Amino acid sequence: MRFPKMLAGVAVASVLLAACGNSGGGGGGSSNKGTIKIGVDLPESGAETSNGIPTLNGVEFAVNQVKTVDGFTLSVDNLDDAVNGVHDPQKGAQNVQQFVDDTKVLGVIGPFNSNVARAEIPITNRAHLVQISPANTNQCLTKTVYIPQSLSGVADVTCQAAGLPAPADLRPTGTNNYFRVATTDDNQGPAMSDYAYNTLKLTKVAVASDAEAYGKGIADTFSARFTKDNGTVVKRQDFPNASHISDFRSFLRAAVAAGAQGVYFGGTDSNNACVVRNQMTGIFPDAAPFMGGDGIVTGQCIKDAASRAVGMYGTVATVAAEKVPGASSTISAFKSAHPNASDYGAYTMPAYDCAKILIAAIDKAIKANNGNMPTRQQVLDQMYKTDYTGVLGHTGFDSNGDTTNKAITVYAVKDATTGWEVDTVVTLT
Amino acid sequence: MVAAWKGTRTALSGTAGTWLFVGVATLILLILLVPKAVGNPPFFFQILVYGLADGAIYALIALGYTMVYGIIELINFAHGDIFTLGAFIAIPLVGIFGFTDATPFSLGVVVVLLGVTVVTMAIDGGINILIERLAYRPLRNAPRLALLITAVGMSFVLEGAMYLWRGANNVHFPDVLPETRINLPGGASIGVKDVVVIVSAVVLVSLLNLFTDRSKLGKAMRATAQDREASQLMGININRTIAATFFIGAALAAAGGIIFGLYFNNIRFDEGFTAGLYAFTAAVFGGIGNIQGAALGGLFIGLVASFSNAYFQAALTDVWIFAILILVLVFRPTGLLGMQVPEK
Repeated sequence: MRFPKMLAGVAVASVLLAACGNSGGGGGGSSNKGTIKIGVDLPESGAETSNGIPTLNGVEFAVNQVKTVDGFTLSVDNLDDAVNGVHDPQKGAQNVQQFVDDTKVLGVIGPFNSNVARAEIPITNRAHLVQISPANTNQCLTKTVYIPQSLSGVADVTCQAAGLPAPADLRPTGTNNYFRVATTDDNQGPAMSDYAYNTLKLTKVAVASDAEAYGKGIADTFSARFTKDNGTVVKRQDFPNASHISDFRSFLRAAVAAGAQGVYFGGTDSNNACVVRNQMTGIFPDAAPFMGGDGIVTGQCIKDAASRAVGMYGTVATVAAEKVPGASSTISAFKSAHPNASDYGAYTMPAYDCAKILIAAIDKAIKANNGNMPTRQQVLDQMYKTDYTGVLGHTGFDSNGDTTNKAITVYAVKDATTGWEVDTVVTLT
Repeated sequence: MVAAWKGTRTALSGTAGTWLFVGVATLILLILLVPKAVGNPPFFFQILVYGLADGAIYALIALGYTMVYGIIELINFAHGDIFTLGAFIAIPLVGIFGFTDATPFSLGVVVVLLGVTVVTMAIDGGINILIERLAYRPLRNAPRLALLITAVGMSFVLEGAMYLWRGANNVHFPDVLPETRINLPGGASIGVKDVVVIVSAVVLVSLLNLFTDRSKLGKAMRATAQDREASQLMGININRTIAATFFIGAALAAAGGIIFGLYFNNIRFDEGFTAGLYAFTAAVFGGIGNIQGAALGGLFIGLVASFSNAYFQAALTDVWIFAILILVLVFRPTGLLGMQVPEK
């Protein structure tokens, strides 16, 4: 029942602001009709700084390029969802509640982490507020199946069976408001599996995880696909509280004894994933590869792996903009505006495209609303019609809100001083 | 039923009980591990070495818990963080000498490491004395619970300070020990690093044992642990004795921190939380207040974790450790080697 009231508020605000006169801007000479806010919720402090800040930079860069849309001034309303340096679902929920309560917010970009998304989606969903994430990859945010039969060769494993809420449980209105430009984790594990089997020529691999939803998920899908690829998973372990485990060597020793040629670890650097890599020293041959998901494609991972950084491979469930023809001008424009190496991360360009897609939807919604401030529902309707070509290539959304772009990038460390570099883009068939 | 239960407990509390426990534990281990060991002896030996090395580090931390509990009946929850602090103090000290992963191993490195260890032990010990003076001594005659909560608070203070100092990520400790492995008959091998860890822990525990057994201050510590008032009447300076206990406990934890750093090369501000929990468990397992018990408990936990991760489910490692602890405490509340705490 607060919906009409909100609209009235917007109308009053627009009239008042319009009355303030023509403040110019890049909007084709039209008058300034007020401000439209884009909410950003990312983990931006402590250990998460390297995740959130480069991603935020991507959004701000896109918004600064556009500045105004159809006479409305765009602004970024940024909130940090990290508490004590770690992403926090409750903080994320508070942040999006703040966005929901601010009628000028027509869309939210974020969050970074899937467990934060799980806390946020029900809140934005009730308000019909568009949420688009540059980085969420947990399949259960959008799909009911955790490991599909098509990837594993055995029967479907549902999200409930994996202990995660199904998408419908997160959407109290019964309709979807959540989108993402990253493809899902069920593709991340298999993509690395194909790469390991076909490119790295591995047939026997040991698999472990940090026992969290993300880490265990990619480890499970990797294992399932690797078996289907005719490889063998010779050792499988999950380490709860991995961030507090200092010694993984007994597992690694057991893996070598079972004939493993490499290790796949589903987990994040903050859960000691790359300490596992470091401890392969003296147990595995120096050339043995270490593989994982986007949780290891970080600078901290290279520091933790130390002398064993070379030979690590990690997937990122988005297209590497570096490999997309036509994206190079945007990347170099970004890098000249943000010259520090730490300003740019794996999710800077995905965040850039998120912002551009959201702005495009807002633009179409304003036009469909005769140039007036659109409702959140109108923006949401336009999101489904997305047909956008940007730095990630072509993006559209299916009815779940997932991107139609199923490409996954494999990053590798070939030289510890240059760090992670794009190796190849794998498209799952 | 209850009487029979109490009878069993009483029967198990003496020396016979100790041997019974050691016997049963050995038997279970033999049944579980012998088939695995026979299948691949060099591999079994390697896992054993990992377990001993990890256990040696837990043992060094456990000593501080057990000594402090023995003397003032405080579970010093901040002790795990004193361990982390040891490594954090050593990192810049080692940095002064320009050590990196590429530094070749030499006699000079050994001398520097020994020097850094001594300085770190002194600094960390000094900080622990300060903590005792500021946070624990004013509460010495307050209810135990007040002291316990203060210790939990100190743990958070230390973790917070280390977080502000070095950030939330792993901090790298230079990898200066050689990766050389010594080949043993039968295809097994042992790393120089493993030897360094185990030998240094054995040396430190033996020194501590000698110290508490023979030295005047050691005797004063044992006397204070037995009966504080009587010791005071006999002319022992209680405050100084307790401060010395905190110093020695922290010095051993600092040594443990440096050994941990040299061994694993990565340490994080909150490393002491779990390491401390394991070490405390080790101290209770061995019989709190009992130095040999704490060392034994540390080794035991290291071995269980190592074997569990290699042969069984890593996800169940903590379940094993704490299930065994509960079983021991149910049948033998004084721990494996018996408590040594103030008489009431």
